Amino acid sequence: MTPTEMIKTVFLPVNAKVAWGYLTKADKLAKWFHAPKHDLQNGQDYELFGTESGDKLCWGKVLDMQPYTSLTYSFAVKPFPGVQTEVHWALDEIEGGTRITMRHIGLETAGADSFGLSMAFDKGWDGHFTEMRDI
Amino acid sequence: MQTNVTTFKALGDPTRQKILVLLAGQDMTIGEVVDHFDMTRAGVKKHMKLLEDGHLISVKADGRERINSLNRAGFQTMMQWIAYFDRFWDDKLDALASLVNEEEKE
Repeated sequence: MTPTEMIKTVFLPVNAKVAWGYLTKADKLAKWFHAPKHDLQNGQDYELFGTESGDKLCWGKVLDMQPYTSLTYSFAVKPFPGVQTEVHWALDEIEGGTRITMRHIGLETAGADSFGLSMAFDKGWDGHFTEMRDI
Repeated sequence: MQTNVTTFKALGDPTRQKILVLLAGQDMTIGEVVDHFDMTRAGVKKHMKLLEDGHLISVKADGRERINSLNRAGFQTMMQWIAYFDRFWDDKLDALASLVNEEEKE
């Protein structure tokens, strides 16, 4: 692992096709991540908005979509608007469900020379986390 | 508090990682670091400059010597940046798993 790569896995008790919907469909993303205006589409820019605040919280471009197996998009977040990273999702059907592997890479290619860490912990963002945990 | 992308660049190299491991054990002059590598003094110095720019080591003068040591504050800043996304994804993936379990259990 490089210092700038983060890997997380989660098991979902559904097939890959259903899991894919949760990663790409606007109505599903709104319930666990943030709300896009449209379903994610290959080659298209996307923006995710806070369901209550309406603020634009994450944005980027869908770089690759292989239905039911993998999804890649560039990814920026409100606290670090100048930092463009990349998020890869891999879906593997295994017994009883689908294993989702999320890889977040590319922090070293950030365009900004520096960024204020304290901004990441501002109250608005923190409050949003609390809401998400309550879903 | 500020961190810098040069911190990540500084970390992404095996030679520099080895230098950090050496300095974690004890403070060293450049000459002492060079002894551990099959590399010119200029080459090692270049790596150490990148580590210093990335706030991962600090250099202080001791008479005619320049002593290199690990900059623990620099590491702490970097860990906070990583911890931010660590928490971000843990929260999101927990929410995803809960949602799927809730909606698909029928």
